Amino acid sequence: MYHTLFDYLTHTEGATYILIGVFLISFIGFWRFLTEREREE
Amino acid sequence: MSVATADGGRNGIFTPFNLVTGVILLGGAIILTIRFTTGLASTTNLSNTNPWGLWIGFDVMAGVALAAGGFVISSAVFLFGMKEYQSVVRPALLTGFLGYALVVLGLLADLGRPWRLPFPFIKQAGPTSPLFEVSLCVALYLTVLFIETTPAVFEWLGLKWWRQLVGKLTIVLTMFGLILSTMHQSTLGAMYMVTPTKLHPLWYSSQIPVQFFISAIAAGISMIIVEGWVSHSAFHHQAQISDEEFRNINFGLAKGGAVVLVTYLAVKVVALSLENEWRLLATSWGAWYLVELIGFVVAPCILFVVAYRERRLGLARLAAAMTVLGVVLNRFNVTFIAFNWQVPQEMRYAPAWTEVWVTVSLITFAVVVFRWVATRMPIMYDHPDYPALH
Amino acid sequence: MSMSRRGFVGALAVGAGAFSSDTADAGTIEHFEGYPDRYGLLHDTTLCVGCRSCEVACAKVNALPKPKQKAGDLDIFESVRRTTTTAYTVVNRYQEADGETPPVYRKLQCMHCNEPCCAAVCLVHAFTKTPEGPILYDPEVCIGCRYCIMACPYYALAYDYDNPIDPQVLRCTMCYSRIRDGLNPGCADACPAGAITFGRRDDLLKVARDRIRKFPDRYINHVFGEYEFGGTSWLMLAGVPFRELDLHDGVTHESLPAIGTSYLSVVPLIVTIYPGLLAAFYAFTKRKDTLAKRELEAALAQAREDAQEEMKVGLSKAAEKAKKDKERAVETAVKKALAEQGEGGPS
Repeated sequence: MYHTLFDYLTHTEGATYILIGVFLISFIGFWRFLTEREREE
Repeated sequence: MSVATADGGRNGIFTPFNLVTGVILLGGAIILTIRFTTGLASTTNLSNTNPWGLWIGFDVMAGVALAAGGFVISSAVFLFGMKEYQSVVRPALLTGFLGYALVVLGLLADLGRPWRLPFPFIKQAGPTSPLFEVSLCVALYLTVLFIETTPAVFEWLGLKWWRQLVGKLTIVLTMFGLILSTMHQSTLGAMYMVTPTKLHPLWYSSQIPVQFFISAIAAGISMIIVEGWVSHSAFHHQAQISDEEFRNINFGLAKGGAVVLVTYLAVKVVALSLENEWRLLATSWGAWYLVELIGFVVAPCILFVVAYRERRLGLARLAAAMTVLGVVLNRFNVTFIAFNWQVPQEMRYAPAWTEVWVTVSLITFAVVVFRWVATRMPIMYDHPDYPALH
Repeated sequence: MSMSRRGFVGALAVGAGAFSSDTADAGTIEHFEGYPDRYGLLHDTTLCVGCRSCEVACAKVNALPKPKQKAGDLDIFESVRRTTTTAYTVVNRYQEADGETPPVYRKLQCMHCNEPCCAAVCLVHAFTKTPEGPILYDPEVCIGCRYCIMACPYYALAYDYDNPIDPQVLRCTMCYSRIRDGLNPGCADACPAGAITFGRRDDLLKVARDRIRKFPDRYINHVFGEYEFGGTSWLMLAGVPFRELDLHDGVTHESLPAIGTSYLSVVPLIVTIYPGLLAAFYAFTKRKDTLAKRELEAALAQAREDAQEEMKVGLSKAAEKAKKDKERAVETAVKKALAEQGEGGPS
């Protein structure tokens, strides 16, 4: 339980940074998977 | 590729350029040595009331904005297909890389404990801090810019396999660079959201992040024009594009500059309107604000418009220089002129000459490196062995 | 590289699993009360006589050099002072004595805000808000960026600009170790005029409101620090408007961390939206290029066809002309032959 906004934000913003980092890297894989056929040509 | 010297190599190493830059750099090195051996007080006018001064205001805040040309032009060429600007991509990326390197160097001079620079990532993170976001993005973006300048290096060194590898990364790097730039350009402005009582209301706005981002684009476009202006005569012997093509590129950039500046003007006026600050314009601070807005946003915008319509290169260059100065002025206002505006006069900040000298040294260093690289490597021209990037 | 479907989904699952929250407590509209029973201090500026005993006590407790100017030396009040690396608290005179009206003093120090903006802007999380109330600073992680000093609205932080090796951010600590030992902060014990009271913040608020109620002519009807920028641990009472004490009056109750970090919610949006958006722009650009190329090829092919057609038509026209010329030539020759025959024929 967070008593201060500061502690709460530290947790949520920290977790969000990690989340978007994972998203960015995954997006590359996602895109390559989606456009696999275009590269086979 | 042989090195062509301005005076035909008569003086050897002691050319006027080398002498002037050498003195500046030597002075900077001496001042920084004093700074690192005795502390910041000996070489700066920083205080507890004014913890951030010229090194943050120019080296970091203005430096990042002026280095924005890299992401602007690479996005235009590689993501939006404006291939006619291909020839200015490499100079812009090199300017960008050196600009961000200057930011980091300036930061290393300003930080109390610069050897702890990586601490937010390796020791303990403060994710609530906008500065955390800025440092993360700047670190990543500096890496991106570094990789984006390696194709010219690999071509120069004849490393074909490496050159082809980094060539394949162009699109991904450009996209990543645009994402990172949008974020940190905006967040540099957002750093001031936490000081509503210290930054004058005409500059303080909930929209300062957007204002910083758009003005950075204007600064980036203008820096490409300015850099081309300075380089065009110095590197004329390398140029492969015709004068006509060079002029067309400049006019295209002027057109872009006009559009961006009018957008920026609109955003600033909207902020005045939303925060109902019209009456503040009648104060002395308001007059100063109008100097920044009219003299360094509206005026260059008009000059860009006329330059594009009438095809006058000189006007475009003047407009570009004014825009650059205007962005620098804006960053100075936000950092130490309109910041602490209510503090008594005797406690206000003005930079020490040593601070100015160090800043000038860093700029000189960037110019020297730029010149060294552009004289030897395919920046201003395409290497005959390699097809044009993407 | 060809990524199998299974491989991709597997990678996603690992990423998602690493991200589970243990405290599922968060409601949608967050309101944070702070640590219950935390301490605070009440500074009644109407009782302060400017003796600066608090400064002396603070220096003693924190092993700092004793303030140079003695208590009776009124010259020190000629200018407004701020805290320094060797003076974690200072007393300023904001109004001189005026006939019957006594001079007005106020003690400055770190306010130990409920939601500290120094903590919120620190990129290495060097500040912590303790359950007892004081805000602590960790010099082991500080990199010296001085964002905290720049942000503090009370100008409460000082930096060691003279120290090249181990510069620190220095400020009042609310005598954290003394509080933990059950003692009062040094300044609270030292004040002879009762201008500083130490206790639980909730209790002090009651005391403050009580005093205002009992002596409405003596006090401005406001406890400064109750809500300003989310509230502070140091509460103030005054007989003059707080603005005259160099305190920002009438600011929002929203905390500076909330204001200063509200923008950061945009950052994840940029990271999540730009990739798809830019991929779309790039695909659009490539499509335009491909279409332009195809159009160009089609135009070239058409031009080639047209040229061939023209050539064919030209050739057939030439053939026609040649044929006609030939016929005319034959006709002329026949006529000539007939004419010659008519002249020199059998008679």
